[in-house]
Amino acid sequence: MTVTHAGAPAARAVPRDVGRHLLIIPALAVLTVFFVLPYLNLALISLMTPSHRAPYLRILTLGNYTGLLRDPFTWQVIWHTLWIGAATTVVCLVVSYPLAYHLARASRRLRGVFMVLVISPLLVGVLIRTYGWMILLQDTGLINQLLRAFGLRGAPLMYNNTGVLIGLVHVFVPFMVLSIAGTIQSIDPELEFASRSLGAGAWRTFWRVVLPLSLPGVLAGTILVFVLTVSSYVIPSLLGGFTVLTVPLLVVRTVTELFNWPGGSAFAIIFFLVTLVVVGSYVRAMSRASRPL
Amino acid sequence: MAQITLDHLTKRFGDAAAVQDLTLELGSGELVALLGPSGCGKTTTLRMIAGFETPTEGRVRLGDLDVTDAPPEKRNCGMVFQNYALFPHLTVEQNVAFGLEMRGVGRTEVRRRAGEILDKVGLRGLSGRYPRQLSGGQQQRTALARALVINPSVLLLDEPLANLDAKLREEMRFFIRSLQQEFHITTLYVTHDQAEALVLADRVAVLMNGVLQQYDSPERVYQRPRSAAVAGFIGLTNLIPGRVRACAGDRVVLDTAGGHVSSLGDASLREGADALLSIRPEHLELGRPDSSPEDGRNRMRGTIRERTFLGALIDFRVDVGRDLVLRVQGRVSASERVGDAVAVSFDPAAGWVLPRGGT
Repeated sequence: MTVTHAGAPAARAVPRDVGRHLLIIPALAVLTVFFVLPYLNLALISLMTPSHRAPYLRILTLGNYTGLLRDPFTWQVIWHTLWIGAATTVVCLVVSYPLAYHLARASRRLRGVFMVLVISPLLVGVLIRTYGWMILLQDTGLINQLLRAFGLRGAPLMYNNTGVLIGLVHVFVPFMVLSIAGTIQSIDPELEFASRSLGAGAWRTFWRVVLPLSLPGVLAGTILVFVLTVSSYVIPSLLGGFTVLTVPLLVVRTVTELFNWPGGSAFAIIFFLVTLVVVGSYVRAMSRASRPL
Repeated sequence: MAQITLDHLTKRFGDAAAVQDLTLELGSGELVALLGPSGCGKTTTLRMIAGFETPTEGRVRLGDLDVTDAPPEKRNCGMVFQNYALFPHLTVEQNVAFGLEMRGVGRTEVRRRAGEILDKVGLRGLSGRYPRQLSGGQQQRTALARALVINPSVLLLDEPLANLDAKLREEMRFFIRSLQQEFHITTLYVTHDQAEALVLADRVAVLMNGVLQQYDSPERVYQRPRSAAVAGFIGLTNLIPGRVRACAGDRVVLDTAGGHVSSLGDASLREGADALLSIRPEHLELGRPDSSPEDGRNRMRGTIRERTFLGALIDFRVDVGRDLVLRVQGRVSASERVGDAVAVSFDPAAGWVLPRGGT
């Protein structure tokens, strides 16, 4: 028995075309004006000296950074923010994956209905949605009233991490679902049949075939949700009250209440770098796991 | 004992029946081709055997085990999919090892058996490749290896050669046949390609619109089709309408536009019934119109309308009058030209008379 057709088919070369590169200019321009320049400005302000009479004094200093980096409180808030980010991401992932699977495998007609339902949290403004949650979650809210009506003890669902988590998961589930559903849809359903016919039950088929093949979507979804969570402001401030302190809340407070622009900027820059490292190492670990794809 | 038994199997999707009352038995070690045009229900049948579809009615038995309600992972079917369905995130070797691992085979034993089967399909050197780095033929071999390595009780092949180019298809046909014989494994081979079915199979089951038309040896399906639909689907044929003038046993005399012809025919034919004579182009012979009739041969006079060179053969279209045009395939040395008056003759044993309309 000899192999007659040795050698893999050559990878298709991407045609080089200068015109195509021009198409990214609009996006690049928007990113530059609304992201790169503000961040440069922020970095610049973070090196200025704080003042009570002006936003800042034009005297360069590293004092903002050294002060923050030495303060354990800084690290405590950063840690707490990352923790809420990770918890939200994990809960979102667990809730979203089955939803995404059904969305991806549903009939075309059902998929449309599913899709609208999934993105429905995004159809309501963040403030209105959060006030809605407050009505449900507060100590005299609907859920606690029901609990007491059944003779149970009320549960503190607001002004703590639980409340923040509920609010964040609710709004970020759509991002996770859509990211994952996209990759699951691209997995040939025949692969699941192949796995089943080879003796793997439904559960092992999921772990050995579906999950590994959907890792790119999981990667995209988790990063998206994590980044959005750690930078969210409205939900933690309303549902967390003053008890849950995250970096965005602290930065805004430093700037608007303490009027310390350079301090707030330095904090923002530090957190930006921390997030970059966290997300970067996560991406590296995940890419290693899904390398063959 | 039959290895695969389909017992009055019916599958309905909504109101439409994909498979209707299908009863089929495959003997041990037999290769049966399930042949039919696309949408005839052959893939649905295969999926019911594999356990991917639940029959609306009827039973599926593998050996003496009723598996109608068993999940796919409990059926021990080796399945090769039309698009191969190789796991893209696993290497060739890991793909092949998958089924063994699911059966709890130990690591060294998995490696040994995977290596063995990869040797057999000629892929030992490529065991570390990922499916996307393989050619179509290599993917096909991997899929076969993956299905066979688990020692399945039956092998199910769903249009396994449909995605290969013509030359490779021919080669893989023989390869599949030799593997099947070596493993002596009962095999159901779904295809829409009648040539493939005739070459490969011990028996051919012709399925049309979800209904089994005929289940016979390739020779009988080709030479003694049960209906005009089967005759038309399998190979080229001329269908000549007529009326049964006389019949005795399988001998039939038919009144046709080209005169009386005698032939063999279905035993169910009755005198006076409308019927069709099926005669293959290669069984028709061209001769001079004034040539004396040989003993017993049927003859019709006509005029050549078209002449097409097919390489090994020449294809003629001969007008024998009353809107009846016959296709005749002759040797390349044939000297007849378009417009020539000819006599078309055939041996009565080469023709086959079918009930008209029929099933």
